Order: sequence, then C-alpha cells, then structure tokens
Amino acid sequence: MLRYVLRRLVMLVGIVFIISVGSFYLIHLLPGDPATVILGTGASPANRAILYKQLGLNKPIIEQYFVWIGNVLHGNLGTSFISQTSVASTIRAAYPIDLELIFLSQVLAFAAAIPLAMRSARKPNGLLDRLLSAGSFTLLSIPPFIVIVLLVLIVSIKLGIANTGPSSFVSFASNWRVNLTSLALPSITLATASFVLYFRVLRSDMIATLQEEFITMARSKGLSQRRIMWRHAFRPSSVALLGTAGVNIGGLLAGGFVVQYLLGIPGLGYTLISAIASSDYLLVQGIVLVVSVGVVLINFFFDFLTSLVDPRISRE
Amino acid sequence: MSERLLEVTDLRTTFRTVTGAVPAVGGVSFDLHGNETLGIVGESGSGKTVLARTIMGLQPRTNVEVTGSVLLNGHQVVGASERTMRTMWATEVAMVFQDPMTSLNPVMRIGRQIDETLRVRLGMDRHAARARAIELLTMVGIPSAQSRYRAYPTELSGGMRQRVVIATALACSPKLIIADEPTTGLDVTIQAQILNLLDSLKEQLSMSVILITHDLGVVATRATRIIVMYAGQIVEMGDTRDVFFHHRMPYTRALLDSSPKVTNAPHTRLAVIPGRPPNLSTPQPGCAFAPRCAYATERCHVEAPTLVDASAPGHRFACWNPLPETSDREAR
Repeated sequence: MLRYVLRRLVMLVGIVFIISVGSFYLIHLLPGDPATVILGTGASPANRAILYKQLGLNKPIIEQYFVWIGNVLHGNLGTSFISQTSVASTIRAAYPIDLELIFLSQVLAFAAAIPLAMRSARKPNGLLDRLLSAGSFTLLSIPPFIVIVLLVLIVSIKLGIANTGPSSFVSFASNWRVNLTSLALPSITLATASFVLYFRVLRSDMIATLQEEFITMARSKGLSQRRIMWRHAFRPSSVALLGTAGVNIGGLLAGGFVVQYLLGIPGLGYTLISAIASSDYLLVQGIVLVVSVGVVLINFFFDFLTSLVDPRISRE
Repeated sequence: MSERLLEVTDLRTTFRTVTGAVPAVGGVSFDLHGNETLGIVGESGSGKTVLARTIMGLQPRTNVEVTGSVLLNGHQVVGASERTMRTMWATEVAMVFQDPMTSLNPVMRIGRQIDETLRVRLGMDRHAARARAIELLTMVGIPSAQSRYRAYPTELSGGMRQRVVIATALACSPKLIIADEPTTGLDVTIQAQILNLLDSLKEQLSMSVILITHDLGVVATRATRIIVMYAGQIVEMGDTRDVFFHHRMPYTRALLDSSPKVTNAPHTRLAVIPGRPPNLSTPQPGCAFAPRCAYATERCHVEAPTLVDASAPGHRFACWNPLPETSDREAR
C-alpha cells in the first residue's frame, strides 16, 4: 500500500511539472512579445522595463522558467498589471468559495445518489427504478445553465429568497446564513448533474454486483438484506463511482465557471472569466496553474480512496 | 441409519423464460439420513445445481416456480420466505459453492467473512467470533490461520480459498452441507485434498453431505448413496455399490464408461455419449435419454419410464430396457 502511494506520488510530481511548464508557456504561446501581451500595445517603456525585470524576459527561456517556478514555489505568482494586486492574493480570496461550492454540491449529490441507487438496484426495472431512471435522464438532458436559470426564476424571483451577486457575497466565517443562502442555488445546480452521474454509475454497478456468486453466498449465510447490500455489495460497487467522482469534481473545479458567472459568485471560475475579459494574462496563468494542480490533487486523492476500497488495486 | 434429515418429494423447479417454461428439475423425490453422504451425479445441464439451490431455498423468486416439498429437519423449504430461510441458512443447511474464485467477497478480509456469520447468526461478540473463525480456519487446514485471518481472497490460492468457503459453511455447525461441484474449479492435485477434508469434517462434526458432481470418481469412495440425474430427473439411485456394480440404466453405464480409468491402455479413445442433453424448453414424450441411448426401442420414444425397484433395497431405476441384472458388473 505504501509503495503504491509512493509510486503515485512520484507520478504526481511529474504531472505537476508538466502542468507548470504548460502554464508557464501560456504567455509565450500568445502571438507577439510577452510584454506586449501582458501590458497591451499602449504600455509605457518604463512599465515594460519593470515587467522585463519581473519576468526575466531578456534571459533564455529555460532560465525564465526556473526564475518563474522559483517564484511560484515561494507563493509569488506575480502582480497583475491590470488590477495592480498580487495574483496570489486574488486567488487566495477566491478559491475557498470554489471548495465550499464543490463540497456542498457533492454532499447533496452523494446523499441523494447513494441511497436511491441502492434501492433502485434491488429491483431493477421495478417501479422505483423506472421512475428514477426516467427522472435522471430528464435531469441529464437539461444543461446546468438552464437549471440555474430555472431555479433563479422560481426560487429567487418568484419566492424572493436567495438573492445573489458578487458584491453581496460574504464568506462562511463572517455570516454563514447569508453565505449558505447565496450558495444554495449553485450548489443544487451542480449537485443535479453530479447526482445523475453518480446515481447511474452506482446503480448499474450495484445491479452487476448483486448477480455475483459471493452475494448468493452471503445470502446463504443468513445475513439480512441490509447487511448484504451495504457490507457486501456497496464496497465492490463503489470503485467506478469513486473514479467518476474524481473526474467529475476535477471537472467542477475547472468548469464550474458557468454557474459562478451566471450567479455572480466570486470564485476562481468567475475570476478567470473576468481575467480573460480584461486580458489579465498573469492572473489567467495563475488560475490555470492552481486549478490544474487542484484537479491533479483531487484525482490523486480519489485514486487513493479507490485503492482503500478495493485492496486488489494497490496489490496487483 | 438415523432419522431422516431431508425429505424431498416430487420437487419441480420450472423457469419461466421468454421462450416458454423450462422444467430444470422435473419431479425429484429422495430422502437423506443423518450423517450420510449422498452423491448427485449428472452431466452439465442435468439440473444438479438447480436442485441443490432449490433444496437450499436459494433460487431467485422471480420467474421461477417451485412445487413439491422439501422438508429440512421438519421445516418446509418450498414456498418459505427469505426471512424464514434466513433462520435455517448456516445453522441447518449450508452450501459450499462451486467456484472459490467468485464465491468469496473480493474486498473483504476472509476472517471477516467467517466472523460475520458467527456474529449475526449466533450472536457472538467480536472477540469470540474472531477466536472461533481462527479455529475454523485451522480446522480446514489453513496454515498460520492467525495471520491469514486478515488476508483478502486474492492473496490465497484456489485451494486455500475453497477451504475458506468450507470454513464459512461450517461456521454455525449446520446439519447438512450441500457441496455443489466443490472441486471443479481446482487443480486435480488439490481436488482430492478438498474432498478428503470434507469427508473427515463430516465424520468429525457428524453432518450430512450432499456432494454434487459430474465425476463419478469423486463420489465412488465417499458417498453412501448415489443419485444419477438426467434432464432434471432421477434416472437411477441406490447404494454406491449398487449404482457402480449393478446399475440397470444405460445412462449410468454410459456415464461410467466415459470416465477415464487408470487401467485403460495408453491412447485408448475415451468413450463418449453421442449427442447432447435434451433442450428442456421443448419437452419430448418418452424417455429423455432415448435419442442418445443404444438400447432405445419404440416405446422409449413415446412413453416415459418411471422409477422402479431393482432387487437391492433402495436401488431404483427408470428404464424400459434395463441392462440385465448381474452379479457384480465389471468394476468401472
């Protein structure tokens, strides 16, 4: 097990390195001189000189990378020339919102998907199973930006609760009621898509597992239905679920911006869209780097969870 | 012989499929006494496994119709709810499954799989159950049971896993163990070990065993009585000696002929039974074996034979043209 984790960690370092090269090169990929890309065509020579110094632009590109990665490792992602604030502090302010949003939506999605999938799998094609499958298909076919608009229409506008906006957003620590109220709708929106995914994956795996001989053997030991479902069938059925969750949560971190942008929640996604709109490339670079590393870490975590659930994976 | 442990009367298991009803077990009756080993022999598809699962009450409830009677230690199994069966499983009857590669939960430590039966069914506490599980593992011949207790099934060989399956079946000291082809998935060298283990445990714990196999050699020295099944029906039954040496049904003969023997000259062709077992979803009149039988007459194709008594007590066969009665047929 330890060897498995260590091996994965080495891979992790490799992947993060590749990501860092990619994010670094982002600025150089854009046509034209990096200084022009970052500062715009109308930049003063003085500002260009500062930027050249900050990024070491007159040095060879490999050396530039090491200067940059050294700064990054010290938590210095540069200072935005657009907003005159440090990129790192902007990201620090934004990312807890993403984490909270993902956490809330995933708790909701799992809390609904696991018990319903277990119940559904017990009688495949039974009434409950048909209803849930039809319902999940319906949800699957409605994109999140429609869900959120519908929710806002019904909940915020018709019922007059849960009003949101980037200026009115407060952190959980300062006022948790307001915080949760403003995150309720986006959490539910993100949860619906995740719910459909988790429900379908777990349901089909549970149905397959319940056909297994070891389930018949568990029955023949005189165990209760509940025990067979949770102790014997759930664990071997949850491997694909964890894999799916890892990819999905990574996707939410990288792609949750639609919902954030529509509701004006100042998380990383919202910040990224604004940065792109204002051509704040250093900020874009910083967010891309942080989000990519985050996605990798999330997947690493879920890989680890999977190996805990199924001991065969780490032993081969 | 002690009193009857199991009484099976006119047991029928019919599967309802899209193409029609399939009578997998078509009217089977037999008894089993205490501390007896009964061998059930037949080809693949003869209904042995379905019979075993029906006796266990493990048959799925949807699209399966079971009629007749299975009295297990006085309790009716046919029509019993899963809830009722739960009180009998493990304590009255337990099953040793065919393939130890699939019958153990791959993500659960083997100790836990034995433990939970003890805790759920006998109400043992964690420590007592653990101690008993290690005792059981030792009893079925697993070396260093203490540390193997924490192993996952994938860390054990097939033979070791089958020992774990047996230990699990033994956990609550059932009166009857149904072993469904317990050695089919194992190497030949391990087969004898597992069968001998079952045999000695049966003596040690004075249980009864139903040993299901397609291999007459497996039951020859171990079973007290043998039932030969064909197409879901009993075609011959009797004491092991009678079935081996005084069999009357040509199918039994064919089955014996088709198993390889040490006395065969090298490169001898193995006798095979021509044709295939009948498709049970399209029932034919007459004896099910008739199309493959060398002795079949017109009558065999129209009228199904019923079990009749042979000369030895308890020896019965179903055939219109039985092999002649002999004193000791050549040992096969």
